[in-house]
Amino acid sequence: MSYKPDEQELMAYLYGELEGDAKARLDKYFLANPEVRKEYEHLESVSQLLRHVKDKEVIAPPVFVDDNKQRWISHAPYLKTIMGIAASLVFVILIARITGTQVSVSNHEFKISFGTPQTQTVATPEKSELTATHVQQMINESLEHNNDVLNANWQASHHALESSIKTNLMVNSGKMDQVVREASTASQEQIQAYVATLQAENMKLVKDYFKLTAGEQKQYIEGLLVDFAKYLQQQRNDDLQLVQVRLNNLEQNTTVFKQETEQILTNIISTVGNNQPTQIRY
Amino acid sequence: MAETLPEVAMMHSDSLIVRAKQGDQNAQGKLVQLWYKRIYNFSYKFFVDHDLAMEVTQRTFISMCKNLAGLQDNARFKSWLYKIAVNYCREEARKKKGNRSLSFDVVWNREAEDSPRWESSSQRYDNPESQFQQAELSDILQQALLELSDEQREVVIMKEFEGLKFREIAEALNVSENTVKSRMYYGLDGLKKILQKKNITKDTLGYEL
Repeated sequence: MSYKPDEQELMAYLYGELEGDAKARLDKYFLANPEVRKEYEHLESVSQLLRHVKDKEVIAPPVFVDDNKQRWISHAPYLKTIMGIAASLVFVILIARITGTQVSVSNHEFKISFGTPQTQTVATPEKSELTATHVQQMINESLEHNNDVLNANWQASHHALESSIKTNLMVNSGKMDQVVREASTASQEQIQAYVATLQAENMKLVKDYFKLTAGEQKQYIEGLLVDFAKYLQQQRNDDLQLVQVRLNNLEQNTTVFKQETEQILTNIISTVGNNQPTQIRY
Repeated sequence: MAETLPEVAMMHSDSLIVRAKQGDQNAQGKLVQLWYKRIYNFSYKFFVDHDLAMEVTQRTFISMCKNLAGLQDNARFKSWLYKIAVNYCREEARKKKGNRSLSFDVVWNREAEDSPRWESSSQRYDNPESQFQQAELSDILQQALLELSDEQREVVIMKEFEGLKFREIAEALNVSENTVKSRMYYGLDGLKKILQKKNITKDTLGYEL
C-alpha cells in the first residue's frame, strides 16, 4: 500500500469530479489516514467559506457592435500617438512661423529670438601699436603740460592779487591824509566860536527845563497837599465814629450791667425772703 | 451562482449560440444579457474594482460579438467566453501595475451609499446584523483572494464562483487539467493560511452565521 493521493486527486475529489475506483480508493485512504483527512477537511472548509461571497447585482447595458473595420485603424493607439505628435509639431512650426522664432547655437551660445533680428554695429576700436614707453611718454607729456598750465594760472592770480592790494592801499592812504590835513587846518577862533555856541545852547536848554519842571512841581505839590488834607479829614471822621461806637457800646454795657445787678439783687432779696420762714420752722 | 432555472437553460441553449453566430443581433443581445452578470462578477472578484470589472466585461462582450463566428465548437462557448475575459483581466492587471493611481471605486464606497439597490435586494428582509456580517465576511474573503497570485486567483474564482469544470478551466486558460488542479490546491492552501492569519475559520464563524 504505497498509494498516496496527490493534489490533483484531492481537488477532483473535493469538487466531485473523481469517480469510480479512484474515489473509492481515496475514501479508503482517508479512513486509514485521519491526519490527511483532516488536512483535506481544512481545504474543504475554505471552499465552503468562499461560498459566503455573494454575487454583485449588475444590469447589462445594451452592447452595440460596429462592424466597420475602418474604425479600428483610427482607434489604433500608436496611430493616435503619432497623429498627436505630428499635430503638435505642425502647431509649434506654425506658431514659430507667425512669431518669427529663430533658434541658433553659436560660440557656446544658445539663442532663441522672436521677430527680425536687429543688426547692431559695434564700434570696434582701431588697432594701434602702443608700447609701454609710448604710454609713459604720453603720460609725461600730459603731466608737463598740466604743470605748465597750473604754474601759469598761479602766476597770473598772484600778480592780480598784488596789484589789487597796491591799489587799495594807495586809495585808503590818500583818504586818511586828506582827513588829517583838514583837521590840522582848523583855526583856534573857529574852535572858540564853536564852544561858545555850545555853551549858549546848553544854558538855554537848562533854563527851559527848569521853567517846565517848576510849574509841574508846583501842581504836583498842591495836589499832594490837597490829598493829604483829605486824608487827615477822613482819618478824623473815622476816629470820631469809632469813639462814638465805643461810647455807645460802653453805654449799652453799663445798662446791661445795671439790669444784671438789679436782677441779682432781686434774686438775693427774694431768696433771703424765702429762707426766713423755714428757719423759723426749725 | 444565483441564476434562475430559465437562465441556466438559456446558457446551455445551443440554438441561441447558433443564431448569434449567424449574425442575429437579437440573439447576441440575449447572450450578453445572460452572461453579463457572470462575467462582471468574475472580473469584479479578480480586481475587486467596479470600474475595472465593467471595463473588462464590456470589452469581453464586444469581443464575443465580433469573434463568435470563429467559434468551432458550440459546447465550448463557456470556456471560450471565460478565456476572452481572462485575457482582458490580465491585460488590465498589467496596465494597473504600471498605473499607480487609485480607482475612484476604491475611494468611494459605492455599496455604502447605494441604498436603492439595497432596498430592492432580496436581503432587505433579512436580519440587519447577519446581513452586515455577511457583507463584512464577503469583503474579507475578496481581499484574501486578492492576496493570491493572478494564476491561482483565476482558477479559484472560475471553480468556486463560476462553477466551471476543471476541463473547462484548462481550456479557458490553455493549460493542462493537472496544472489547473495544482493551482486550485495551492490557491485553497494559500487562502487557508491567509484566513488563519485573520483568525477566520469555519469554527469561529459558526456562531455568527
